[in-house]
Amino acid sequence: MTSLKLFAWLTLLFPLAGCVTIALLGRRLPGRGAGYVGTGALVLSFAAAVATLLALLDQGHDHQQVVAVAYDYASSAGVDAELSLLIDPLSVFMILVVSGVSMLIHAYSISYMGSDRGYVRFFAYLNFFVFSMLLLVLAGNFLVLIIGWAFVGAASYLLISYWYRRTTATGAGIKAFVINVLGDVALVLGTFFIFAHVGTLDLLATFEQAREEFAPGDADLTAGVILLVVGAAAKSAQIPLHTWLADAMEGPTPVSALIHAATMVTAGVYLIARMHPLFELAPTAADVAAIIGVLTLLVAGTIAIAVTDLKRVIAYSTMSQIGYMIMGVSAGAYAAGLFHLMTHAFFKALLFMAAGSVIAAMAGQQNLDRMGGFRRAMPFTFGCMVIGGLALAAVPPFSGFFSKDEILLLMGDRGGWYWILYVAGYVGAFITGIYTFRMIFRAFCGEPVPEARALEEGHLHHAEVHTNPASGEVEDTDVGFPGPEHHIAEREPAMKLAMGVLALLAIVGGLVQIPKLTHVIDSFLEPTFEESALYHRELSDGLIGFGLVLGAVVGIAGVAVAYLIWVKNPDIATRMRAGLAPLHRLFVNKWYFDELIDALVTRPALWFGAWAQQTFERVFVNGLLVGGTTGVVRAGSSAVRAAQTGFLRYYALLIVVGMVALSLYFLLNA
Amino acid sequence: MIAAAAAAAGKAAGPEIDWAGLSPLIAVLGGALVVLLLGLVVSRTVRENVVPLLSIASLAIAIGLSVGQWGRREDLIAGALRLDELTLVLTVIFCVAGIATVLLSWRHVAPREAAHGEYHALLLTSIAGMIVLVAAQNLVTVFLGLELLSIPLYVLCATEMRRASSLESGLKYLVVGSLGSAILLYGLAFIYGATGSTDFAGIATALGGDGDLVTDPLLLTGLALAIVGLAFKASVAPFHQWTPDVYEGAPTPVTAFMAVATKAAAFGITLRLLDVALIEAAIDWAPPLAALAAVTIVVGNVGALGQSSLKRLLAYSSVAQAGYMLAGVVVASRLGLQATVFYLAVYVVMNLAAFAVIVARERETPLGDDIASLNGIGATRPLLAWPMTIAMLALAGFPATAGFIGKFYLIESSVNGGYTWLAVFIVVGSMISLAYYLKVIAAIWMTPSETEEGVAPVPAPLPGGDQPVLAGGSDEATGLRAQGEVIAVAVVFGALTLILGVVPSPLFDVVRGAGAALGLL
Repeated sequence: MTSLKLFAWLTLLFPLAGCVTIALLGRRLPGRGAGYVGTGALVLSFAAAVATLLALLDQGHDHQQVVAVAYDYASSAGVDAELSLLIDPLSVFMILVVSGVSMLIHAYSISYMGSDRGYVRFFAYLNFFVFSMLLLVLAGNFLVLIIGWAFVGAASYLLISYWYRRTTATGAGIKAFVINVLGDVALVLGTFFIFAHVGTLDLLATFEQAREEFAPGDADLTAGVILLVVGAAAKSAQIPLHTWLADAMEGPTPVSALIHAATMVTAGVYLIARMHPLFELAPTAADVAAIIGVLTLLVAGTIAIAVTDLKRVIAYSTMSQIGYMIMGVSAGAYAAGLFHLMTHAFFKALLFMAAGSVIAAMAGQQNLDRMGGFRRAMPFTFGCMVIGGLALAAVPPFSGFFSKDEILLLMGDRGGWYWILYVAGYVGAFITGIYTFRMIFRAFCGEPVPEARALEEGHLHHAEVHTNPASGEVEDTDVGFPGPEHHIAEREPAMKLAMGVLALLAIVGGLVQIPKLTHVIDSFLEPTFEESALYHRELSDGLIGFGLVLGAVVGIAGVAVAYLIWVKNPDIATRMRAGLAPLHRLFVNKWYFDELIDALVTRPALWFGAWAQQTFERVFVNGLLVGGTTGVVRAGSSAVRAAQTGFLRYYALLIVVGMVALSLYFLLNA
Repeated sequence: MIAAAAAAAGKAAGPEIDWAGLSPLIAVLGGALVVLLLGLVVSRTVRENVVPLLSIASLAIAIGLSVGQWGRREDLIAGALRLDELTLVLTVIFCVAGIATVLLSWRHVAPREAAHGEYHALLLTSIAGMIVLVAAQNLVTVFLGLELLSIPLYVLCATEMRRASSLESGLKYLVVGSLGSAILLYGLAFIYGATGSTDFAGIATALGGDGDLVTDPLLLTGLALAIVGLAFKASVAPFHQWTPDVYEGAPTPVTAFMAVATKAAAFGITLRLLDVALIEAAIDWAPPLAALAAVTIVVGNVGALGQSSLKRLLAYSSVAQAGYMLAGVVVASRLGLQATVFYLAVYVVMNLAAFAVIVARERETPLGDDIASLNGIGATRPLLAWPMTIAMLALAGFPATAGFIGKFYLIESSVNGGYTWLAVFIVVGSMISLAYYLKVIAAIWMTPSETEEGVAPVPAPLPGGDQPVLAGGSDEATGLRAQGEVIAVAVVFGALTLILGVVPSPLFDVVRGAGAALGLL
């Protein structure tokens, strides 16, 4: 028991120690020292996470929910604020995924960020992010959860705006932060709704109390849980709070891989899974979340077909895949949703790393229109991209196939209106196949572009004038901008290693949970979801068989269609674009969500702000409130100083006057 | 009681003395005697190093002896003193403040001019007075402790004998302090007259037995006068006016000591007198004390605005803080008592950090305690800049510092005790206080330094010509760079401010013990 707690704390503390060490000493380390320190911290953290897993497995089945309290911060005014961790199968599962994938992405970044002038800062931020994320998933009460939640948002902001002299990057950082804070506020409010009834912040105690306190469908609980859903949607980039994620691609590619694909954006999925006793008591809220998930998976998938920025294609694909997970965990497919979270972390991180390698070969250019024919120049990257793509498109036997199908199987099994989700999920899977292989075929097949030719001859292309790929602005390569050198996987062992391990995991990761054959994740997570009625479902053989065949067919069909359109007959694409111009416009403009938010929220807020500034602020707030109070305080201050004459006789007089007044008060009151 | 014991024994016998219970007091007084004698030794090393070391040793022994007796609740010397957790925790606070003061004055001008033996003996005597005062449960002992505390302080204020403002400070303190003591004594006499007892328990019995006594004019007058006397010591407005003048003029280590230890002593006896002896009269004294607290919060905070001397600023700040703590006294509950003691401990820690930085900068720059002496130290002296920043934030009640938890505790106790409006005053006062605390932080981090760092500071005359006119005013006295002990005090107490803000539970446990000692509900 004690060693279990110790290992959990160590998992959390190594990245923090790494962050502090790098921040304080990073500049004194020679060469890529900061990168090695950061990666070393993550290796230790991952080792501690594995040790936590082993220690947890040593516990009996009934003792796998352990709360580790470091100390009691404050227990007054009815608040039990402890610094506590909840170590159970779910959190251990999450720390394994987070620390494992983070470790590989740190290793990748040692090389990939090698020539950036902000190298030290990058690794300090990255370690801070991992610490925050581990804090989030290990939190034993709402307070720590909220702290981790907010820290993660802050780390994301810092890393999106990492190239802080790029205006597009800082703008994207602000957008991400604002939407994330919206989610933070929702989470805090939701917590309050629940806390007001159950009277405790501890997670396990809350669940216990909630079962007694709330009747199913209780209005307050539903409101609180819907607020939690808003928080989850903001963090996980779900409609309508998804717009920040595409812009977040302004950050360096390892950041996109780590934060905006593998870990942080899955926090919403974790939140719903963690709060499943509350969601089961508030089925309306759970349905809202499931609908949000299915909408996102369709809308984001269609956008991914149309956008031409390599990283944004993957970003929209991320939203779409998280849509599957949100839909799954909201509808009771907990193990399946988390299983997909894990496999997605593998193959999506892999896809981003491969994309980073291609972008490096293009000297920072991210536009798919300018890419092509990299297959021969970058065989390793191409191989990784295809493996990641096949896993994403859910082609058997790659990992994504099993995890996605399991979510959809459970949707189908629940019946009723969940059939809509079931069907939509397969439509989404078809779209996934199309956009994934559209991206791969366009980047790697066809005529090699000049950059690819140069690479075939052994020269890595370098742009003569560095420009911002998003806006075309001319930039230099000083601190605050991307560095002058680029690094591709073919030449960097560290990148190769990280990508190789992830490729392997993307291939075999699905084997841990094959219907009817293996159920590693199901049985491991069982103690967390023991009380859930939805967890223990027996699926009929017919449904399983039908689903597996359908999933395989849909995935392969998507790939085939992409092959037909973008390799076989490239002019189909042009013709389709012309023929379906309105639809294409809708997709390319991302369903006009940015414009919608701009018209509905930003503009009215700006207008109201300007109006209020002109009238209310200037006259009432500044004139009366601020001017009035500071005037009063200032007058008080000069009165006190005027009384402070420095003459003893006045002091004595005042004491006597005060004494007389006090005595008179007492006597008159008597 | 003594008479009864004597009669029983059939002969004149002294009261039984519990030497173990008295041991912290004896350690401090013994230390005072030893250093006084050692101060006569010719060797300069002995005088300048052994004397402070021995003072620290005797204070450390007193701390050890106090900790060792944790949990005891007994009457000492026939009920003159009370040994309980409140006494012990405050004794530890006094001794910690005393050790810090000795360290801050190690190479200071004041002990050099006043002679080391005398300076340290006076300091230790004053601490002994504080211990007696907070342990007192008899009106006579109260006055004895108060005078034993005050008289050495009058002298200590004037120890920089060749600086006019130091002498002025000592004289002012003496005159006004005597007035305060006289008023207190008068009040105590009235209380004795009304209740017929000097013993706290006896007073409480008398008040509880007869309902009419609570409205007796004699008692009420005595209560009013006693409150004025204690309010004077705790610098509660409108009896606070000596505070800025005395704080500014006194040698800075002495100011630090007065700001923290005297206040803790005054609150210690206020808690015991009001919550033990006069608890039955709480309906009488609570409302006017609440009014005083509100006035104090306002006066202290607005007075601190616009001060350019750091010592004056902290003097007004200490007035405001006294107002906050008074809120914990007003509610007359165990929660309030705990909150007050908690805040006292935290208050000592954060102020010592701030004063240590002032001492350090007084020696490094020719600017004295002017706020400009802190300009730009964020870049050049991080070990001073951070403790000062933390101390200022903590005094303002910033989260993650001990000050936040202390203030939160006080607010909670006021709200629980039915004084929500007073809690509102605390919050508004904290808001105003940010205006001057942040000014200090702005000076540290955002104002570039005018004097070039690295150049040995020249002892230049202060604006106003207050610099010592002493011929032997060597640069050893003013331009000391080797002041590791001062920086250590700043760093230790700065860190402690932060640690207690993040891990407050040990201190919570301690004050819970103190809260249980007085038998309040």
